[in-house]
Amino acid sequence: MQQVVPQHPLTIDSAVLARFMPMHLLLDRDGRVISAGPTLQRVLQGQDLPGTPFEDLFEVRSPGGAVTVDDVLARAGHRFRLVARGGIKAGLRGLGQRLPDGLVLMNLSFGIDLIAAVRDLALTDADFAATDLAMELLYLAEANAAVTRELRGLNLRLEGARLAAEEEAMTDPLTGLRNRRAADLVLERLCTVKASFGLLHMDLDYFKAVNDTLGHAAGDFVLEKVGRILREELRADDVVARVGGDEFLVIVTGRVDAPVLQAVAERIIARINAPMQIDGTEARVSASIGIVRSHDMVGADPTRLLAVADRALYAAKDAGRGRAVLMVERFG
Amino acid sequence: MSSNLNLHWEDGTFMDALMLRFLQGYVRDTFGPAVWQAVCRHAELTVETFEPMLRYDPGMADKVAAHVAVVLGRSVDAIWEDMGTHLVTSPGHEGVRRLLRFGGIGFADFLHSLEEMPGRARLAMPDLDLPEVTLNERAQGEFELRCQSHLHGTLRVLSGLLTAMADDYGTLCLIENHGEDQISIRVLDSAHSEARPFDLALPQG
Repeated sequence: MQQVVPQHPLTIDSAVLARFMPMHLLLDRDGRVISAGPTLQRVLQGQDLPGTPFEDLFEVRSPGGAVTVDDVLARAGHRFRLVARGGIKAGLRGLGQRLPDGLVLMNLSFGIDLIAAVRDLALTDADFAATDLAMELLYLAEANAAVTRELRGLNLRLEGARLAAEEEAMTDPLTGLRNRRAADLVLERLCTVKASFGLLHMDLDYFKAVNDTLGHAAGDFVLEKVGRILREELRADDVVARVGGDEFLVIVTGRVDAPVLQAVAERIIARINAPMQIDGTEARVSASIGIVRSHDMVGADPTRLLAVADRALYAAKDAGRGRAVLMVERFG
Repeated sequence: MSSNLNLHWEDGTFMDALMLRFLQGYVRDTFGPAVWQAVCRHAELTVETFEPMLRYDPGMADKVAAHVAVVLGRSVDAIWEDMGTHLVTSPGHEGVRRLLRFGGIGFADFLHSLEEMPGRARLAMPDLDLPEVTLNERAQGEFELRCQSHLHGTLRVLSGLLTAMADDYGTLCLIENHGEDQISIRVLDSAHSEARPFDLALPQG
């Protein structure tokens, strides 16, 4: 930065100085204020400036330990940082120089506190020098906020679409119940955390007969009706899934009491047993249910649970259908 | 993404995305969601929402605007101009008005700042390419603005936007389109009415 510059003694009146440097501070030899630029006056908020020592107006934040103008000029490298003692709390940064006649000229600016200062002092375009990039910084901050807002909006909309797609991938479109994939995921999760739950594996009886004699629309009607019964008979926390043509899985969370599970299953069967009216015709189906409990198995895993539930279901069917059988896996 | 969404990262443009998003907002705000749905059906679009942060086929904004014109039974130029005005005047787009007002203290200052617009936009989003604008001040209060864009609608939007901004600054002026790339602006009274207030600091909240 050492450069030989031809000397041009310059005389600038205070109006020009204010226009070029609206945040300047002119101090006498002893560091007392002679004048301050109009924007800096607003920062200092009506304090009586002429004759006030620099250190009464500002606290020097860097260079550390500096208090007076002489300290600042002697120790600051190319810039120093100040905070006004009265007035607004904005940090200021500046540059200072002792002039040939002994006066000290300082030029200050808002650093990164610009936005807060503009708000606190209600500054306008006219409070900054025409060359100042303050407007660009304010513009950029707002433009950036707008872009971020749009991106956040886009993310939310994409997340909504993703959740909807995921929901769709987990749902049986006919009954609105969960599907096999969803049931498998829940079973997997519950087994991993060693949760207690009852698992009901249900198969409709005489469903094929309804399909064959009354047609597929009637079959679909029966399935929807069974879906509704299951939803009504179980709690929101339970998982009800249609996992095959007329095959359902129910995960009763937190319940392992044999009489309770048996009662739930029997209530479901009773309601499914009731005749269903389809366009004036009567359809009759029933249901068989196999029940297993997570805590009847040491280290329950989905495959074994489902296998035992399946055996329980066939035991129910063999015992004459329309009933529920709870099975405990025997070892050895 | 399927190609019939007209969504392309490689050769799609942000300009189309912005114009489509603003068009969607304008039609929905002004005529209701049902009209926008009718436009999407008429245009055989597979989606009903355009995303301003994605990119669309170059020229797609003009194509969709043509469908808006058919559905509304108005000229496409009038629709683009209204949309430009809507961008400045609707409370939902206060951010756009504010960014424009940063251009200058007066309307003439603002006009000159339009030349910096692509640069300002790039500052916020490096790959946002707004069309270059050149402004000639032919005489005191007489301006000639040139703007070349791959979209026909750009110049119409600009003239609607200028009309609304003149109003915002309280300036009375005559704004006319000439051909596909030129707008003339004659300021008749720069203190015609009181300018809408503009604080540099964003209102809190």
